[in-house]
Amino acid sequence: MPRVLSTSLRDRVDWVLLGVAAAIAVIGVINLYSTGIASNSPDLYLTQLYWLTFGGVLAFAVAVIDYRHYDRIGYIIYGVGNFLLLLVLIVGTEVNGSTRWISFGEAWRFQPSEIMKVCLVVGLAKYLYHDPTSEGRGLWDLLIPTVMTLVPMVLILEQPDLGTALLCMLIFFSIMLLTRLKARSMLGLLVSAPVVAMLGWSYLLRDYQKERVISFWNSFVDPEADRLGSGWHAYQSTVAIGSGQWTGKGYLHGTAGPHHFLPEARTDFPFSVFAEEHGFLGAALLLALYFILIMWSIRIAASAKDRFGAILAIGVASVFFWHVLINMGMVMGIMPVVGVTLPLFSYGGSSVLAFTLCVGLLMNVSIHRFSR
Amino acid sequence: MFISPRNELSEFKKKYRWMRLFVVLTFGVLVTRLVQLQVVNGEANNKQSLANVVRTVNIPAIRGQLLDSKGRVVASNVPSHAIYVTPHDFDMGQGFERLVKFLDLDNEQANTLRGRLAERLANPTDMRRFQQIEVADDIGSEQLAAIKSHQDELPGVDVLDTPMRQYPFVSTAAHMIGYLNEVGAEDIEKRSILVEDPYRAGDRIGRIGVEKMLEAELRGVRGWRKKVVDARGLPLPRKESEDLMPEPRLQEPRPGHDVTLTIDMALQEIVDKAMRGHPSGAAVIMEVDTGRVLAAASKPSYDPNLLIRGISYEESKALDDNVFRPRIDKTLFEHYYPGSTFKPFTAMAAIEEGRITPDDVIHCSGFHELGHRTFRCPRAHGDITIREAITVSCNVFFYNLAELVGMDNIAKYAKEFGFGERTGVGYNGEAAGAIPTKAWYEEKYPGQFRIGYTLNAAIGQGNVKTTVMQLASAYAAIANGGTVYKPQVVRRIETADGELVKDFPPVVTRRVSVSSRTMDLMKDSMREVVENEAGTAYSARLEGVSVAGKTGTAQVSRRPRNPEDDLERFYYLNRDHAWFAGMAPAMSPEIAIVVFIEHGGSGGENAAPVGMEIAKRYFEEIAPRKQEAPLIADKKQPIRGPLPVVESQEEKAAARARLR
Repeated sequence: MPRVLSTSLRDRVDWVLLGVAAAIAVIGVINLYSTGIASNSPDLYLTQLYWLTFGGVLAFAVAVIDYRHYDRIGYIIYGVGNFLLLLVLIVGTEVNGSTRWISFGEAWRFQPSEIMKVCLVVGLAKYLYHDPTSEGRGLWDLLIPTVMTLVPMVLILEQPDLGTALLCMLIFFSIMLLTRLKARSMLGLLVSAPVVAMLGWSYLLRDYQKERVISFWNSFVDPEADRLGSGWHAYQSTVAIGSGQWTGKGYLHGTAGPHHFLPEARTDFPFSVFAEEHGFLGAALLLALYFILIMWSIRIAASAKDRFGAILAIGVASVFFWHVLINMGMVMGIMPVVGVTLPLFSYGGSSVLAFTLCVGLLMNVSIHRFSR
Repeated sequence: MFISPRNELSEFKKKYRWMRLFVVLTFGVLVTRLVQLQVVNGEANNKQSLANVVRTVNIPAIRGQLLDSKGRVVASNVPSHAIYVTPHDFDMGQGFERLVKFLDLDNEQANTLRGRLAERLANPTDMRRFQQIEVADDIGSEQLAAIKSHQDELPGVDVLDTPMRQYPFVSTAAHMIGYLNEVGAEDIEKRSILVEDPYRAGDRIGRIGVEKMLEAELRGVRGWRKKVVDARGLPLPRKESEDLMPEPRLQEPRPGHDVTLTIDMALQEIVDKAMRGHPSGAAVIMEVDTGRVLAAASKPSYDPNLLIRGISYEESKALDDNVFRPRIDKTLFEHYYPGSTFKPFTAMAAIEEGRITPDDVIHCSGFHELGHRTFRCPRAHGDITIREAITVSCNVFFYNLAELVGMDNIAKYAKEFGFGERTGVGYNGEAAGAIPTKAWYEEKYPGQFRIGYTLNAAIGQGNVKTTVMQLASAYAAIANGGTVYKPQVVRRIETADGELVKDFPPVVTRRVSVSSRTMDLMKDSMREVVENEAGTAYSARLEGVSVAGKTGTAQVSRRPRNPEDDLERFYYLNRDHAWFAGMAPAMSPEIAIVVFIEHGGSGGENAAPVGMEIAKRYFEEIAPRKQEAPLIADKKQPIRGPLPVVESQEEKAAARARLR
C-alpha cells in the first residue's frame, strides 16, 4: 500500500475538522448525561462514549487509507449497504411498528440505514467519477444514479423510515447538483421532487407518517391547534427550547430531558434538552459548530485533488447538512417530525458510527488532497 | 480512464459558491427561529414549560364544627377519601379504563366522567386541563386500596383526604342544623362571590339551616401544594422537584370556624320524644330573657347523613311527595292560623285600649249572632271575665271583645309582639305571618270589609297567621314582661383554635307598650288554663312543673277529597291544627314553649300534653336547679289572687260552678 502513513501526517491532519467534530461529540455526551439522568438508563452517556471511541478508531482507519482504494471497492461498499437493508427486512427486529434494526443478542442492535447513507455517497461518487463529461448531463445520464438512489430508498421506506429515505433523496440531489447538468436535467430533478413526493404519499407513506406531515401543516396554519395530537412533541420541544431564554435553566435543570417531556429525547430531541438548559448562548454555539463543520467540508471538497474526493466530501457534507437542518427544523417546530438524528450529538451506536465514518472520509479527502 | 484530476474538477468549481450561500441562508433561518423561540417568546415559553411540570394539588379545608350549647358535636367531619384527576396528565385510554374499574363505575357514570374530562381537554389553550377535578368522593376502603396500590399506573390521579360531614344526632334538629351537598354549576357561578375561595365542582355547600346561613364562616379556605410531575403525570422525587418549583410551594388550608349553637341537643331529643305520637308538627323552645332558641324541631325529619351524599331521584321524589312534607321546616317556612293561642293578644289590646276592665263580665250563651251569621262557641260559658274567658277559651267572649276593640287595635298590639313580620332568625326562608288591618282588607277586597273579619281575627282565625317561631317569640315577650327579642340560634363563632370570632348577645327587637299589669293578668290567666280544672289544658298538666299556657285549635280550610286521597288521608288533612303556647315556670318564666301539631285535632288534648312533657323534663333534666324557685308565690300581685290548685272533687265542682 503506498503511503499509508505519510512522514508528516501530523502536519496534514485537519485540526479544524477534528476539533469541531470532537467538540460536538463531547458536548453531545455531556448533554446525554442530562437527558438520561432521570430515565431508566443513566449510563446512556457512557454507552455513547464507547461508541464514539469505537467510531473514532474506525474513522482513523478510514482516514489514513487513501480514498482511492474506496474507489476500487466503491460498488462493493454500496452493495453491502443494500444487502444489509435487505437483511433488515428479512431478519430485522421490530420496534414501535417499524423494522430498522438487526439485533445481535439482547443488547446490541445495528441500524443499517444509518450506514447506508455513507455507502450511497461512496457508490454515487464512484459512478460519477467514472462517468466524466465535459458537457452537461442529460436526463439519460441521470438514470443510473437515480436507480442507485431509489433502490436503498425503497428498501428503507419498507421498514418504514421516512426520514432516512428522504435523506437519501436529498443526498442524491445535493451530489447531482454539484455536477454539470443540462437545463432540462436540472428541471427534471426539480420536477421529480414533487412527483416523488406525491407517489410516496400515495403508495409508500404509512398513516402515522402522513399524520405527522398533516399535523405539521396544521400547526403551521394554526399554531394553537393540534398540540396534543401528533403536534405534541413538536410543541413541547419548542416550549422547552424557548424556555431556555438567553442563558438557559442550567445544566441538569431542564424539564424536557429529565422530566420525560420529550420521548426520544436522546435520539431525536437532544437539541431541545441542550437549548433549554443552556439557552440561546449554548444553542447558538452548537449551531455555529455545525456551520463551521459544513462550511469546512465544502472547503475540503473544493480543495480535493480529484472528482472522487470532491464528490465524497460534498456527499458527506450534505449528509451532515440535511441531518442538521431536518433535525433542528423539527425540534424548533419549522419542519415536520421525522426521526432524523443530530450528527454526533444524538444517542445511538449506528448513528454515531455513520457520522464518525463521515468525519473519517472528510479527513481522508483533506489529508490526501496533495498526494499523488 | 485517467484524465488529469485538475481538469476534472472544473465541472464543480462554480457550484461551491452556491452551496455555501445555501448553507449560510439555511443557518440564518435556524438562528432566526432560535431567537424567536428563546429571546422573543422566551418568557411565555418559560411560563408554559413550568405549567407543564408544576401541578397544584388541592388541600381541602376542614369545615367548622357545629356544637350545641353544651358543647356536644352536632356536625362533625369524619375521614374520607376523594379521587381527583388532572385531565392533562390523565391517560384517557388505559388509565381511564383502570379508573372506571377500580371505582366500579357503571356505564352511565363512566360516560359522564369521560365527557367532563374530554371537555377540559378539548382546547389545548384551556388552562383548566391542569386543574384537578373531583371524580369520586367518599370512596370505599376497597376502592381506596385498589387505587393506592395502582397509583403508578394511574398518572394524573390523586387521592385526597377530604373530610366528610357527619351529623351524629341524625334526624334530630335536622332542619335547623341543615346539611351539605354537592355544588352545581349555578352555585359555582353565583355563590362563589360570597366566599373567599370560589367553589369548584365536587365541593359541598350548605343547603339549608345553619349550614347554609353560616356557609362563609364554616367553610374555610382550601390550601394547595405544588408538585412537579413528568410528562406521564407521575410525581418526581423531591430533590429534583425543588429546583423547578416556583415559590410559594405550599399554602396551608385555613379551617372553617366552629359554630356554637343555642340549642341543647338533650332538650331537642326531649322535644322529639314528646312529639312521638304525632306524625307532623313543630316545636320551639325559647329562652325568654334572651330570645335564644333552645330547641327547634320540625316533624317529620330526615337523616341529613343520607342527603349529604346525594340521594336518588326516586328517594328525592318520595321525600317531596310525602304528605307530611318532611323537607319543610315547619317552625319557620310555613305560617298557620294561631287559633286560640292568639286570644291573649286580643285581650291585651282590649284592656290597653280601655275597652274592657279585668272585672267586666260578658255573657256567653254558646253562640254569637252577627247579621245573618252565627258565630259559635264550644259551649255556653255564662257570665265570665276576661281571665276566665282565656282559661276556658271562650269564643263568644272574644267575639264581643272584637266588636269592642276593632280590627286595627288588635293589629296594633299584635304587631308590637312581632306578628306579621319576620323575626329575622336568619335561616330556612322564614314566612312573615299575617296580621290583617282594615286598610289591608280595603286594599285586597275594596268595600268588602265586614266586622265578621274582626271576629275571626280575634280568635286567631280569619287572616291571622303566624309561624311557630313567631309565636314563641311573642309568648316569650309576654313571659319576660314585654321585650320582644330576635330569636337566635347561634351563640358564638370561634376559630378552630378557640379564638372568639363573633359573639351573639341578645338582640332586642322592640319593647311592647302593654303594661306589665296586663301581661301579668295574661300570665295568670294562662296559668289557670293549666291549673284550673276548667282550663283547656288542665287534663294535660303534670306533677312537679308549673306551666302557664294557652291551647289553640286552629280550623283548617276544608279540603275537598281528591281522587288520589284515600279516606285516611282525606280525614287527616281536614283535621284541625293543634297548638299549645306557653311558658314555664308559670310565675317567673324562663322558657317559652310553642308546640304545633299539624292536623293534630284539639290543642288541649293533643298539643298541650306535648308542651307539658317538654316543660317537665326540661326542669328535671336540663335545668334542674331552676325548679327550686317557689311555685306559687309571686312578687307581682295577681289581680284577683292566685287560683287555688284544684285538688278535691268538691273543689273541682266549685271551680266549675264559678266559671259557668
